[in-house]
Amino acid sequence: MSLLDEQVSVPRRTMTLFFLIDTSGSMEGSKIGAVNDAVENVLPMLDEISAENPDAEIKVAALEFSSGVHWLYSEPKLASDFVWQDVKAGGLTSLGAACAELSSKLSRSGYMQSASGAFAPAIILLSDGGPTDDYESGLAKLKANNWFKAAIKIAIAIGDDADKDVLKQFAGNSEAVFTVHNIDALKQIIRVVAVTSSQIGSKSSTAGDTTKQEQVIEEVKDAVENIKGAEAATSVDTSSYDDDWD
Amino acid sequence: MRAISFSCQGESHIASGKVCQDYSYSHVYENGNAIAIVCDGHGGKRYFRSDVGAKIAAKVAEVKVNGFIDQIGESLIKGTPFTQRGTISEQIAKGDFSKSNKIDSAFRWLFGSIISEWNSLVTAHAECNPITETEKTSLEERWVTDFEGKVNFEKVYGCTLMVYVYTPEYWFAFQIGDGKCFACNDKGNWTEPIPWDDNCFLNKTTSISDSGAIDEFRYCYEGDGVHPIAVILGSDGIDDSFGLPENQANFYVQILKSIVTSGEEATIKEIESDLPQLSKIGSQDDMSLSMIYDEEKLKEIYLKLIEWQISNVKRDIANEYCKIGKANKIQQSLESIERPTRQNLIDLQYANADEKKAIEIGGKLMVRLEVLMKELNKFDRGFPLFGFIILKFMVIFLLY
Repeated sequence: MSLLDEQVSVPRRTMTLFFLIDTSGSMEGSKIGAVNDAVENVLPMLDEISAENPDAEIKVAALEFSSGVHWLYSEPKLASDFVWQDVKAGGLTSLGAACAELSSKLSRSGYMQSASGAFAPAIILLSDGGPTDDYESGLAKLKANNWFKAAIKIAIAIGDDADKDVLKQFAGNSEAVFTVHNIDALKQIIRVVAVTSSQIGSKSSTAGDTTKQEQVIEEVKDAVENIKGAEAATSVDTSSYDDDWD
Repeated sequence: MRAISFSCQGESHIASGKVCQDYSYSHVYENGNAIAIVCDGHGGKRYFRSDVGAKIAAKVAEVKVNGFIDQIGESLIKGTPFTQRGTISEQIAKGDFSKSNKIDSAFRWLFGSIISEWNSLVTAHAECNPITETEKTSLEERWVTDFEGKVNFEKVYGCTLMVYVYTPEYWFAFQIGDGKCFACNDKGNWTEPIPWDDNCFLNKTTSISDSGAIDEFRYCYEGDGVHPIAVILGSDGIDDSFGLPENQANFYVQILKSIVTSGEEATIKEIESDLPQLSKIGSQDDMSLSMIYDEEKLKEIYLKLIEWQISNVKRDIANEYCKIGKANKIQQSLESIERPTRQNLIDLQYANADEKKAIEIGGKLMVRLEVLMKELNKFDRGFPLFGFIILKFMVIFLLY
């Protein structure tokens, strides 16, 4: 008789990837179209990473925020099961409300059952503007959350109108903010960030003493060098690109 | 009382060539006292001698605990009800700190003496064992410089410490860092007697090498004559494999049942072969388990352990049944729509998938239930087999 017989459950560990998507009015048109297209197309890649990874399975959750906040589904779904529903743009940019809502779900009563058996989540924030609500109180609440503190956090600034200071505060440092200036770059960066975060975030071992966030940043930085219209934060102030969203 | 302990190298450590950084120890003394200890050396490169630190911590803890027992005598804890104390910051937050009594002062003295002795011994080890060329190859320059400059020696040896102590008059347990302590009472129910510390989260843990380590210990004690039937300490490699505490307690029930049915020797062999396997399919981390149990009382609660498992499986079957009901409701509401929207179709797709998954899990749970019912029936305590057959038919009807 084995102690690990059919009576014992050893569930796979879980890593949840959160997309926080700005769906305010300024995203209308090609920007929101590119986001919908890119996220829908990256889901099968995440499923593949999950299926090939002995360490953990990957779940996906998506929160859109404009004048209010809305989860695409009431719980994280396995990457293989996630059916993307196109989000529509319109309204204001309630980033503070989105932070507060995310914080409420980064808890045992929310989406995270137990720290045992879980990996820190990866959180990708996409925004093209500045918050129109009291983002500071929402962000302060989120920053006090243990899951958020441990998370891989990457922000994608869609164009030069994005408030990069706010995105930097969200992601924890300017290195974790990447800027894109055209549709093609937006699609590519979503894919690169989502895939890299999932690959690194769902692994048991880390490379040396660098954090998983630092590893993701390094890999995304390398990839960004080959994406025309995308920049790492360090080059934001001396941008070599003009926005082109047509 | 009986004692078992075992540690093994984690799957990821085997792959990377790292030694096992866990250490476990258990012992039953001639005077009837018993001790179980688990130490988990930290995994980061900076803690390159944490395996040594873990062994030293276990040895120091045993010596200091025995000195503590001699010093406090029988009367200090005897008669006190079950009491839990969190870290100092937790005690302050709860308003418990001002209620500290002689027992708390005694424990603080114990923790201070463990830390102090551990610091002395790891410093002595570092001074007698200069950094080797092999160690240097995998280290950042700053850690080498620190070590050679005798800066923060203790960090190199950093580890957690968890201890359970049994005496015929009272028992106590204490911990710094992660890993879990589970206790089984005479009703076959499981608790985690040592309060949790939220500073131990994911891969972060408090450590005996922390500068404020004395304030990070948490503990519990009881002297009113009630003792757990079994206490099992497990390093975080075990709890990370099971996720939810009930899954981990369920594994421990399997161990206790095996001791009763197959004997201790056979169970130890099972533990030795299964923990490496658990690391492989679970957390991939080093695994340590250390336990003390009352062999006579364990036999008495054997049936209660099975009943505990049955009750959990029944609860899980009920949960799956609820999911099926929920999915069915959605299916019914959407099937009547003549022109479904894309949203309707997605909701229906999820409802179908949820129903399928719940039926599959429910079926597996039924197999589990059947095995447990047979185990219970074997002991023929007038268990109503007829009742089980009725229950089985009911569940099959509900699932299908």
